[in-house]
Amino acid sequence: MAEAIATQGLTKLFGPDIRAVDGIDLRVEEGQIFGFLGQNGSGKTTTVRMLTTLLRPTAGTARVAGVDVIAQPAEVRRRVGVALQEVGLDELQTGREVLTLQGQLFGLSAKAARERAAELLEVVTLTEAADRPVRGYSGGMKRRLDLACALVNDPRVVFLDEPTTGLDPITRDAVWRYVQELNRERGVTFFLTTQYLEEADRLAHTVAIMDRGKVVAEGSPAELKARIGTDVVALTFAGGELAARAEAALARLEGVQKVLRAETEVAVYLPNGAAAVPAMVRLLDEAGAPAEELVLKQPTLDDVFLQVTGHHLQTGEGAGGAGAAAGTKLAGGAP
Amino acid sequence: MIGVRATWLLTVRALRESLRQPANEVANAFIPLFFYVVTVGAVGSVAREAFGVSDYKGFQLPVAVLQGAAGVASGAGLAMTVDIQSGYFEKLALTSAPRLALALGRILADAVKAVVLAVLILALALLYGSGFETGLPGMAVLLLATFGFALAYSGIGVAIALKTGSPQAAQAGFIIFFPLLFLAPTFAPIEIFATWLEVIARMNPVTYVLVGMRTLVTDGWDWPALLKGGAATAGIGALTLSLTVLALRGRVQQ
Ligand SMILES: Nc1ncnc2c1ncn2[C@@H]1O[C@H](COP(=O)(O)OP(=O)(O)OP(=O)(O)O)[C@@H](O)[C@H]1O
Ligand SMILES: [Mg+2]
Repeated sequence: MAEAIATQGLTKLFGPDIRAVDGIDLRVEEGQIFGFLGQNGSGKTTTVRMLTTLLRPTAGTARVAGVDVIAQPAEVRRRVGVALQEVGLDELQTGREVLTLQGQLFGLSAKAARERAAELLEVVTLTEAADRPVRGYSGGMKRRLDLACALVNDPRVVFLDEPTTGLDPITRDAVWRYVQELNRERGVTFFLTTQYLEEADRLAHTVAIMDRGKVVAEGSPAELKARIGTDVVALTFAGGELAARAEAALARLEGVQKVLRAETEVAVYLPNGAAAVPAMVRLLDEAGAPAEELVLKQPTLDDVFLQVTGHHLQTGEGAGGAGAAAGTKLAGGAP
Repeated sequence: MIGVRATWLLTVRALRESLRQPANEVANAFIPLFFYVVTVGAVGSVAREAFGVSDYKGFQLPVAVLQGAAGVASGAGLAMTVDIQSGYFEKLALTSAPRLALALGRILADAVKAVVLAVLILALALLYGSGFETGLPGMAVLLLATFGFALAYSGIGVAIALKTGSPQAAQAGFIIFFPLLFLAPTFAPIEIFATWLEVIARMNPVTYVLVGMRTLVTDGWDWPALLKGGAATAGIGALTLSLTVLALRGRVQQ
């Protein structure tokens, strides 16, 4: 089966010294849900903008839906759907008008565009608000309308740049269900960036982790987690200094393969976590660095993230939402 | 073909939005009518003795029309910056619509509005007592010329908007170009100008647009004047359209 997205040495420089995207090689099979992870400023959006013809690469090549983005940008646009990180809507039109116009600009007849708009409004549960000006929509409603716009041309490849930011949990689930349905039933390929690692873990067939413009890990979530090869004991301390002392002490514990610290949190990688916990607690007591919280778990994508980048996935100001905060926690709901 | 349809769809959208913000259009209509009445009131009675213009109401009519067109034609640039800042411009740029259509849709909407305003100004001027030497066919030509001028003039704001994305810059651009409307035989015939002003006025393409329109109202069919007016409009249009295309290219493929 062909590749939906393939890049080679894709690079974007802003000025001489900002290497926003630094020579990435991506391969996304048709029919996949591809999760593109990385912290603020790692180059996710810049990549999406290059792949969707909004930005001209400084170097490298990219093919999307079988078409070269530099040679045939118009053909790429015809085949892909895009919802950018920032909602981009016209406040003076109604939701229905925005969608209908979008459809017509993709070449649908007026009638077909109206039907398509009605269908998508139903999907994003905006039918009731459809004939009100977008100006009066809530943030979540705008986000949903924006997502609907990305699907209007029945695209083969859909790019969603942090699509669930600002959505409540129920709507977020609804969006993901629809994404999965389109993926399963229609074979639509999704390229999505997200800060929610649990979401990526649950939904994506393959993920790539970006750090400072480079892809630092790529594979299925299961593969990446298995690569860690150990259990993880995640500890939280009252302060950074305590955590540093604990880090030093724990490194001496037998069987420990690796200890990583991020601020007040310490992650200990070792084969048989459960057996080691009593010894660990004793060691910390002796070192005078008692843990506030201790969680034993299987590695999560966040552990993978920490291991390959040396830091947690920091969610930035604008990323917002209670769900975003969960992404920064080591313990993240593991059993 | 898709380009023509996309341009048309985007023109309709722009016009629909004007209808939803009527306050802008009321201001656009008020200003030229206000100046028309005030200028005619102030100078009209002495125009014949002072510079030999017997129908000063007719003499000022194309000034009001051009002023109205220029005011209306500042709309596209501003509206474009709103689209750019809201991100809607990119949404449109991600469709199959040729990117020039995104600019042309806005510009055409301005031209349509300018013609509607010109009809209003014309009707009020005729009621007010202005003559119109070339009659109905001449009026049609006047409206056509207004359409062309608005197209050409609107391109300035759109080019600046596309280049900078900033509403302040789009506005400032108009402050720079607005004087062109007055460095022309706006209030009196060019023959009585001070030499320096006459030299500038003769280099100003707006002069030829204005004089061409004016012959329709006060003189009768003067083909050379009309041709010069048409050529001046085409010249301005070619310039602003090129700038628009350049700015568009810069914006969509950084
Ligand atoms: N137009 C631009 N001009 C200059 N620098 C830019 C521009 N766009 C992005 N950058 C820089 O490129 C880098 C990558 O930005 P990008 O928006 O791709 O990150 P991101 O991974 O999407 O981040 P986030 O999670 O915050 O959305 C950042 O350092 C950013 O400051
Ligand atoms: Mg981003």
